[in-house]
Amino acid sequence: MKVSVDWLQDFVKLSPPYEHIAERLTLAGLEVKKIHPVESPKDCLFEVEITTNRPDWLSHLGVAREVAAVENLSMRLPEVENSKNRQHASGWKINLKEAEGCPYYTGVIVEGITHFETPDFIKRRLEVCGLRSIDMIVDITNYVLLETGQPLHAFDADLIRGKDIRIRRAKAMEKMVAINGREIELAEDDLVIADAERPVALAGVMGGKDTEVTAKTRNIFLESAFFHPRWIRMTGRKFSLASDSSYRFERRVDPEGVDFGRDRVLWLIQKYAKPRFISAVLKAGEKPVQSVGLINLNAADIPKQLGVEIKTHQIHSILTRLGLHVTQESSKGWRVKAPSFRPDLTRSIDLVEEIARIYGYENIPETLPEITPLLSEHHSQVWLENGTRDIMSGMGLFETVTFSLVTRKECGAKDGFDHAVSIVNPQNKELAWMRPSLLPSLLSVVETNIHCGTPDVFIFEIANTYHMISKDKHPKENKTLGMVLSGCWKQKTWLDSSRENSFYDLKGMLLSYFDRLGIRDFMFRSINSDSKFRSEICEQIMVGADIVGVLGEVNPEISRLWDLESKVFYAEVDMGLLLRHIRWVKTFEALPRYPGIQRDIAVIVAEKVKAGEIKEIIKGLGQGLIRDVEVFDLFCGGRIPKGFKNLGFRVTYQSQERTLVSDEIQGLHSVIADQIIKKFQASFQ
Amino acid sequence: MSETIDQVEEQAKLKLDTLNSPEELESFRIAYLGKKGKLAVLMDKLKTLPIEEKREFGSRVNQLKNYLEKAFEAKSEILHRVQKAPELFDETLPAICPRQGRLHPITQTIREISRIFERLGFDVVDGPEIETDYYNFTALNILLDHPSRDAFDTFYTEGGQLLRSQTSTVQIRVMQTKKPPLRIIAPGRVYRPDTVDASHSFMFHQIEGLMVDDKTTFSDLKGVIHLFLRELFGSDVKIRFRPHFFPFTEPSVEVDLRWGSRGWLEILGAGSVDPNVFDAVGYDSKQVQGFAFGLGVERIAMLRHGIEDIRLFYENDIRFLRQF
Repeated sequence: MKVSVDWLQDFVKLSPPYEHIAERLTLAGLEVKKIHPVESPKDCLFEVEITTNRPDWLSHLGVAREVAAVENLSMRLPEVENSKNRQHASGWKINLKEAEGCPYYTGVIVEGITHFETPDFIKRRLEVCGLRSIDMIVDITNYVLLETGQPLHAFDADLIRGKDIRIRRAKAMEKMVAINGREIELAEDDLVIADAERPVALAGVMGGKDTEVTAKTRNIFLESAFFHPRWIRMTGRKFSLASDSSYRFERRVDPEGVDFGRDRVLWLIQKYAKPRFISAVLKAGEKPVQSVGLINLNAADIPKQLGVEIKTHQIHSILTRLGLHVTQESSKGWRVKAPSFRPDLTRSIDLVEEIARIYGYENIPETLPEITPLLSEHHSQVWLENGTRDIMSGMGLFETVTFSLVTRKECGAKDGFDHAVSIVNPQNKELAWMRPSLLPSLLSVVETNIHCGTPDVFIFEIANTYHMISKDKHPKENKTLGMVLSGCWKQKTWLDSSRENSFYDLKGMLLSYFDRLGIRDFMFRSINSDSKFRSEICEQIMVGADIVGVLGEVNPEISRLWDLESKVFYAEVDMGLLLRHIRWVKTFEALPRYPGIQRDIAVIVAEKVKAGEIKEIIKGLGQGLIRDVEVFDLFCGGRIPKGFKNLGFRVTYQSQERTLVSDEIQGLHSVIADQIIKKFQASFQ
Repeated sequence: MSETIDQVEEQAKLKLDTLNSPEELESFRIAYLGKKGKLAVLMDKLKTLPIEEKREFGSRVNQLKNYLEKAFEAKSEILHRVQKAPELFDETLPAICPRQGRLHPITQTIREISRIFERLGFDVVDGPEIETDYYNFTALNILLDHPSRDAFDTFYTEGGQLLRSQTSTVQIRVMQTKKPPLRIIAPGRVYRPDTVDASHSFMFHQIEGLMVDDKTTFSDLKGVIHLFLRELFGSDVKIRFRPHFFPFTEPSVEVDLRWGSRGWLEILGAGSVDPNVFDAVGYDSKQVQGFAFGLGVERIAMLRHGIEDIRLFYENDIRFLRQF
């Protein structure tokens, strides 16, 4: 809101520099965001931000009241026309049919106005505050709104049919054209002001075109009322209509301000529009009163909450300056009555905040609390996430943070689409799905980086994936680790040659990861049907009986959606499931006491024979003396016949009980080699 | 008696390990793989064997030959390289760096902040992102149909749940399950339907903090927040406490940071926990008191690292990520 300092001067005496006042207001919670000097005539404009709990600040009078409280100054109120001896407006009646929506409604008939030019000071102040001068009557109502915070509306009285003002719910399908020219179709939950025949205003939000005040208007009906905040808010939102009036009504206007604002308008009209007649006030309903009467403020609560002792007379002074009615109950505390413009003050804690605010947050000392150590819960989930991040980045992966919302295309790129959670009011129409997998987001990151000239992308992310269980159940969130390798495993250097990424690199990372976490009971199992992977180039990760994840080469049909031509490898691990299998404390195992002996077996076998099968057979034949079998060589072509491959295994023999001798092992090794030849129809090279 | 295949193999393997120069390697080659080398001798022996033994013997000799040839090549490569190095040493050649990943700057910021609070005995906890109206609004004293709710525009799911617009939801979840005293911080993702630009995003990260016992005061809040900001931004950091309004705290405060030519910048919101919040979780609001705060992780990361566009965090350009 824009506040003119010159206008404030009508109510409180301020002296420059105004930056000082601005800072004092800011430190009292009425934040002055900007200060603009205004030339000829001299003024100073404050742009203030008003929090929703303080509708009383939405006027110059309200801001002046705060200045007076903060600076301990006296206030001067503007002049009003409230003479008791005005005559009744003959024939006019107000019919209040919706007392919840409008608890209190008042109106005055003003006859024989003259449309003089709006006085300069009004024009100028409106302009400084960002309003255009339209017509004297409209200008005066706007002026009083900015001055007192009470919205007012003037109707052309001659255009109101039947001299009958009805505050009622709209009828279904009833229509009205608002002042801004828009035709509105009303419903029964809208509050309207109507005459004998039709709605003439959308109550508290906007007047109607039909009864608008124009240069021809001679007689007006001036409305000043209290509309219920919720009703105004609902209607305003429904029609996406907002006005200076609705903004204030939906935040709650001061019930006492209804009469005061109206009488202030009448004073200005009388002085500047020279009317022939001003009627007595027509009223309906009652001013709403706060249900909270007196608030008990316990003196001991102030230091207990704030951590500072404030002197009794200071507390009394602060509350009084804020317009509160304070009675000393005893030495133990006070009974306090809040004024009508402070509906936000209902509890003792509200008063404590007021005291702190005016006393000055800057004057409250800074202390450090005594902190008793607490038994910390083992937040294993948080620990696992952090540990995983360190392990992943240690292996050369960059951590990404991508949006949890993805497009339908991205979401549908995998087969979890049916169970994805959708957003009904997305900011961007495309990004309307909570991702069921991290794959689409990570592929986008690969794409971005390729466009930016970084073709080798090693990334991971730990974030939730979201899954709908059934329509009526709360969706499930799984903390998920996603990893992507794309491009070269290593680039050529002057020392080494380059190599592409492979499935085995990604799998090796997962093995190292499990090893670091002390997970042993894992197994990789081939799967055939996972549409996100290239057929057969994928595996499931089992730990115990849980399928904790999958890895594989991304299905080229999917990676093509991101314009990715080369191979991309992806792994996804459910961290919640993994958590069950972590060995938090690792148990030491005795180191082998006797040396091992290594022997190699190189065989030529059909291409389809899996290395793992041979490895298992070798192990099985080892009579318990084989500690490890490793594939150290694999090649085909050259001297190897078509359809065959050469596999080299390095077998480590080791015993827990004795040193193995070469002869003993040689015998066993030959037997194993023979068995392999037979079993796999293999041959030695 | 000539040597058996096994003997040749074992000797060769032992010998291989001892080779230290190209010259030694060459004599090894002649001794084993040369025209009159040990393998040639074995091949000669093959001719003398009965037919039924020829096959196996032949294949084993071949296997050994194959192995030794490979081993020779591998060794040769190593020895020649080692040999070349001293002559050609060029310290200006590029070093070979191990590959290193990085943690995202948001993670680094969250960790740094968490570390400070963990030292003060706060536990780091987590909570769901898909929430209900109750946890995001009602229990936090944010009234339905009230303008204060406008500040918390929210994404809704098909099923009528919402994406939390603030990590304050975790306060409620923790207080519902634990009795005071408690000290927690809860980092996480939050969502608000904002148009994405250089300083806004519909998803960002917040850290919520909560300290509750029977005596923590507003002056303690000031002390803890100032201590935190000094640890994060340096001990000469200039801050101010400005009254504000949040539905879930009273008194409420916004904390501003003096940032060079940009003047005062709002850095976090805080306040003493509103009694209505304690009532909502079943605490006795007459017996307990404490403070809560909430801060935007991106905002702090942007200030500390001099990042001017929030979108950089979510693009994950590796040239950006590797700077932190």
